Amino acid sequence: MFKRLWQIFGPVLVAGLCLIALLLSPLQLGRPSEKTLSTAATSLSANVLKGEAIKDVAFNANYIPMIGSSELSRMDALHPSVMANKYNWQNKPFLLGAPGTQSLTHFLSLQATGNHLNGKKAVVVISPQWFVPQGVKPEMFDFFYSPLQTTYFLIHAKDSESTRYAAKRILELTSDTTNGIMRDALKNKALGIPLTKTQKVYINNVKRPTLQHQDQLFSQLFIRGREQELRKGLKVLPRRPDNMRLDQVATELGQKATSDNPFGIQNSFYEKRVKPNVDKLKGEQSHFNYESSPEFADFQLMLDYFAEHKVAVQFIIPPVNARWAAYTGLSQAMLNRFDKKIQYQLKTQGFNNIVDMTNDGGEQFFMQDTIHLGWRGWLKVDQRLQPFMKTKKAKAVHYHTTNDFLSRDWQNVSGDNIDEFD
Amino acid sequence: MPNLQPYANPNYFLILGVALMPLVIGLLNGKRWHIYETLVSLLFLILIFDGDKVHQGIALIGYVLFEGALIWGYTVYRQKHNHTWLFDLAVILAIMPLVIVKFVPFLNPGSNSILGFLGISYLTFKSVGMIMETRDGSIKKFEPWLFLQFMLFFPTISSGPIDRYRRFKKDYLKVPDRDHYLDLLGKAVHNFMLGFVYKFMLGYLFGTVLLPKVAHLAMASRGGFLDISWGLVGYMYVYSMYLFFDFAGYSLFAVATSYVMGVETPINFNKPFASPNIKEFWNRWHMTLSFWFRDYIYMRLVFFLMKHKITKNKVLIANLGYLTLFLLMGFWHGLTWYYIVYGLFHAIWIILTDVWLRFKKKHKAHIISNRWTNYLAIFATFNTVCLSFLIFSGFLDRLWFH
Amino acid sequence: MDVEKTVVEILADLTGNDDIKDDMDMELFESGTLDSMATVQMLLELQGQLDIEVPVSEFDRQAWSTPNKIIARVKELQ
Repeated sequence: MFKRLWQIFGPVLVAGLCLIALLLSPLQLGRPSEKTLSTAATSLSANVLKGEAIKDVAFNANYIPMIGSSELSRMDALHPSVMANKYNWQNKPFLLGAPGTQSLTHFLSLQATGNHLNGKKAVVVISPQWFVPQGVKPEMFDFFYSPLQTTYFLIHAKDSESTRYAAKRILELTSDTTNGIMRDALKNKALGIPLTKTQKVYINNVKRPTLQHQDQLFSQLFIRGREQELRKGLKVLPRRPDNMRLDQVATELGQKATSDNPFGIQNSFYEKRVKPNVDKLKGEQSHFNYESSPEFADFQLMLDYFAEHKVAVQFIIPPVNARWAAYTGLSQAMLNRFDKKIQYQLKTQGFNNIVDMTNDGGEQFFMQDTIHLGWRGWLKVDQRLQPFMKTKKAKAVHYHTTNDFLSRDWQNVSGDNIDEFD
Repeated sequence: MPNLQPYANPNYFLILGVALMPLVIGLLNGKRWHIYETLVSLLFLILIFDGDKVHQGIALIGYVLFEGALIWGYTVYRQKHNHTWLFDLAVILAIMPLVIVKFVPFLNPGSNSILGFLGISYLTFKSVGMIMETRDGSIKKFEPWLFLQFMLFFPTISSGPIDRYRRFKKDYLKVPDRDHYLDLLGKAVHNFMLGFVYKFMLGYLFGTVLLPKVAHLAMASRGGFLDISWGLVGYMYVYSMYLFFDFAGYSLFAVATSYVMGVETPINFNKPFASPNIKEFWNRWHMTLSFWFRDYIYMRLVFFLMKHKITKNKVLIANLGYLTLFLLMGFWHGLTWYYIVYGLFHAIWIILTDVWLRFKKKHKAHIISNRWTNYLAIFATFNTVCLSFLIFSGFLDRLWFH
Repeated sequence: MDVEKTVVEILADLTGNDDIKDDMDMELFESGTLDSMATVQMLLELQGQLDIEVPVSEFDRQAWSTPNKIIARVKELQ
């Protein structure tokens, strides 16, 4: 009988033991190559964002994280990734973000890089559209939610108001209920209680190594860079980065691409996404409001990370296509109040490197479509990025963050009433 | 307690393995520990129906009590009398909860009946089957304990395979001899591994990786005749593959778990895409469901029509049978146009197949039949089946009307 | 009356296949000789000619799969 039992279960047992050994071993499995890094840098892949292995290596090499959302995928010739390749920038942008990634996702991803960004630089593109009254949609947060990064958070985050706030938000937004221990540990963090011994041992020695090895083994597979778009862009750029010539190229490209509609929106986008409902959209956005949102507190978590790790950050605030905004009734005054509020949050804490383009929405060929930067918009970004990204090391930074920006009051206060907030 | 959906993640299999270990040791030593078995079942039912699914758990308890009382009552009655109208009434009452669950979202889109729970349709097959066999006199008494074990057998509770009471009872009450049980264990391990490949590799590839892509492609290239596009063709095949690998994988897990518990739950899939015609396909696809419909609907209806000599036309009787069977199957899936069209599609197809088979039988000498015509038949059947699954998927509803 | 003869006659009649008389262990369902429709007819014929009642529930394909098995079942039920 035992012989037969061994024949039946032996292979499964051996395979299972091998798998456990592989996943729990302290080995580092597979180091991303130079090629992988360059592919990952433009892939905008969710697996790269949710992982750690590739990012950690990239930030030690000559990549600077460029954090944002959907606009990063608008890869025309003037997109920073294309420019950096064409003109051999010393440090290249590592794009992090996709439609649906917002501050909390980026915070989780940033904190998990731990000390790899210490004293280095980062770029953050702040979309006003993140700051809607409900904040990030749970299903979106869930889609980009990384248990791996959460294990890092659980092990390393020291108790503080922002740690407690972050744990609470994660608990609120993720639907990952399969793992009771992780959930309980998050609850402890939210309450400011240290993790129990069991939680620590499990997360440190079982959960994290397993997830880490999966990340090392699999996050490099199935990522696709945007070589095609890159190549196309490289071809049309002039040999030398002469600003006048570049502006000309941007204008020509923009002109050609936005010929069939009165809004200056890229034709293909207009045909597919706008035209079918163009009548319905008229005046439809007049009630949009980006002034009160839990996103302001989520955003503060990123700032707290940058301050703690002394990261020099360049912030970019893109505009909304002005002709489109006028048509849909989106209020420029509201956008300006949003701008005022976010600038207040940044500047009062010492984040002074801001490329504010809120009022550039009316510039020709500045936007590729309704809310996403394009040709001349990217060029303006490039002109500020290029000197900033010349070196990877940050000069001494002087941040003085405060927990006030985590408060409900700050989340709700409107741009005009900031003075009442203190 | 965490909430776990059946066979959905590694934790489930881990808990399953640990919980079943003592049962395996017992069965290998010729003992079946019913109490432990029941505790394991209870544990898994709680895991499936706790947390945010607790209202479903309550609905399940209510449902089982209701069906139990009904079948008990009917069995007691049947020991003395046998009126057709009372039998009809018992069947109608038995399917009533399911009918309500199907009607609520139809009448009130977006809402779900509080009577609903994961697996209600499968439990309904089991109870209706019991009532019919009681009517036939094949089941003579109501055994509450066995009824509960049969209805709440956790490996198959959410999506089948659909077992039969008397078959289940036989397995449940005996201990398989050691050699036979070792065979079962071997098959179980094989099924689990194959199930992993089906559900978590191929099912994932087709369902999670490819399906959204082809769906997007199809939605983006709307506008032609009936919105047909390469994206839609892609969707048809990708969805069919997903449906098979996901469901067949699930069924393999359910059968494997049953085997470990010494219960030989019937298999659900037997290389369906190798069928040379649609009749054969239904003998190989979701077998326990199609056999249920064959035995409890089709054969009974045919029996009734012939016995009462309603018509002498055998072709007509067979066709009526098919139409009833597949329309019922359509309605059972849900009250939407595409499930009903799916049912009609299969009914008409199988009627036409019968016409062809009769013709073929008559003209045997003149019709070529060799290996290659068989391959051709398999190819044609496969493609037509995929077309029917495209209807079934409901994607056309999204494509055309939303 | 001879059960064997009657059963074989019924089967041959229903399926239009005289080979049944020579191969009493023929797998009737697997070979597609007997389908659900013919099965019901067979049950009705058995009822009429041999006066045995076989409810559909009792009809287990495994136990009725060849002419010999059918004969055995019928004798049991008589």
